[in-house]
Amino acid sequence: METQDVVQKPARTEPAKSTLPQPGRPVPSRAYPGALIVVEGTDGSGKSTQLYLLKRWLEIGGYRLHFTEWNSSPLVKFATRRGKQRRLLTPTTFSLLHAADFADRCERQIMPLLQGDYLVLADRYIYTAFARDTARGCPPRWLRNLYRFAPVPDITFYFRAPLDVAVNRILSGRPKLKYYEAGMDLGMSYDRAESFRLFQARILEEYDKMVDSDDFVVLDGTLPVNKLQKQMRDIVASKIDLKRFAPRAEEAE
Amino acid sequence: MSEQEKEKPAAPVAATEVPATPAPAQPKAAPTSEDTGSQYFFGEPLVGFDPSEITGSLIVIEGMDGSGRSTQITLLQEWLESEGFAVQTSGLRRSALVGRDIDELLAKNAVTRLTLALMYATDFFDQVEHRVLPALRSGTIVLADRYIFTLIARGVVRGINRDYISGLYAMALRPHLTSWLNVRPETAFGREFRKAQAISYWEAGRDMSLSHDLYWSFIRYQTMIKREFEVMAKKHNFIELDGEASVPAVNKLLRQRIAEQLGIRSTKYTPSSALSHLWR
Repeated sequence: METQDVVQKPARTEPAKSTLPQPGRPVPSRAYPGALIVVEGTDGSGKSTQLYLLKRWLEIGGYRLHFTEWNSSPLVKFATRRGKQRRLLTPTTFSLLHAADFADRCERQIMPLLQGDYLVLADRYIYTAFARDTARGCPPRWLRNLYRFAPVPDITFYFRAPLDVAVNRILSGRPKLKYYEAGMDLGMSYDRAESFRLFQARILEEYDKMVDSDDFVVLDGTLPVNKLQKQMRDIVASKIDLKRFAPRAEEAE
Repeated sequence: MSEQEKEKPAAPVAATEVPATPAPAQPKAAPTSEDTGSQYFFGEPLVGFDPSEITGSLIVIEGMDGSGRSTQITLLQEWLESEGFAVQTSGLRRSALVGRDIDELLAKNAVTRLTLALMYATDFFDQVEHRVLPALRSGTIVLADRYIFTLIARGVVRGINRDYISGLYAMALRPHLTSWLNVRPETAFGREFRKAQAISYWEAGRDMSLSHDLYWSFIRYQTMIKREFEVMAKKHNFIELDGEASVPAVNKLLRQRIAEQLGIRSTKYTPSSALSHLWR
């Protein structure tokens, strides 16, 4: 994000014709009146916990919001499951299937809500695909084009935790890593835990490369939960004009 | 091809910005490189694939619904097999990964254009990686019933950015030969209607709200698609054939071009009795 403070967006006027760019063209954050807050980071970086707490804070405050998760569209759920079970997925089809999933959520939820002046909170976003699919060997330029239709977030929080911390959080809490989750398709190691570690190291490296180019707000994933949450809330309050998302008069009881 | 394959139209989507298919003038050569592409790919190389292993040929037949593509492919397969070539076919919505999912999405009509375009891209690359490339590596002739060009045209007429959708297919293999069976939408309408005594929702482009009149919806939609093909035909050196000519006449021209490509001396062919009903 730029260093500017509160982003002032135009007040909602006529729902004239769509202000959105043609599908497949970039969607800058000023193209929509809502606000998009995204969390990114490797598995075990603490991002989901933090986004949950941010969501609770905003919900309790009565703000209009929608929460969306990566890889959650019912549309491609069965295809993804089938591909994973039968190990049909290659780096290319893995990437495309997730893009289709994201496009469905984007076209049917995220874009309409941003147009409708909502706060949208996303647990993982296109940067997950950039980091993970590049780690799998997909050409970065092709990937950037693939997700060009995605609205640019107002804030992208990047929860950075050292590799060992993040990997140990996952390994200690999960009895068995899944095949693709552990990056077994890359053939780096026959040992799942070892494969997972190598895969996560590559992903972490890809995330780090995007910090400047994609305006990540970097937060230290090793800090205590409540301290981290305080930082997150302060940043949201300073960068987003939350008043816009307060309950509308007619909606408030 | 298997019975199951025959039931569906073939090839994966088309991208407009992709570099051209090989010029017919140099039949044996792989496609010429253009832009950022290589002789094997339109743009970026496919992950984890060594194109020097290709010993087969990829032959694409494009054309709108009712242009006679499937009929020609059935006949070409028989001819090539009689000449001793191993043949495999590919087409749209035939992937093990998402072929059936797309069928369902189309049936429910609850899908948005971008998502559908990406599902078709997934279907395309799944077939490329699991069926087309292994076949080409083993010296098989792959007959593609439609390719990226159809998929690009469909996306573009629905308002998806041309560079974007072409970019999706940057990793598609360049065909060794692309022929386009060009027909007037009016002719295609008659042929399609006779097949099913109806025109389907998608064939008529009804998702685009062009007209409540099904005939005009079909004509307008297919005309838009045809215009996209005209642009791509120039750019990618399609071999354009008159799809309104008789089946034997079109087939003869196709055999000539393919024979040239594969180094087959004779283009003589008479369909077996099993296929003679197509020969008119």
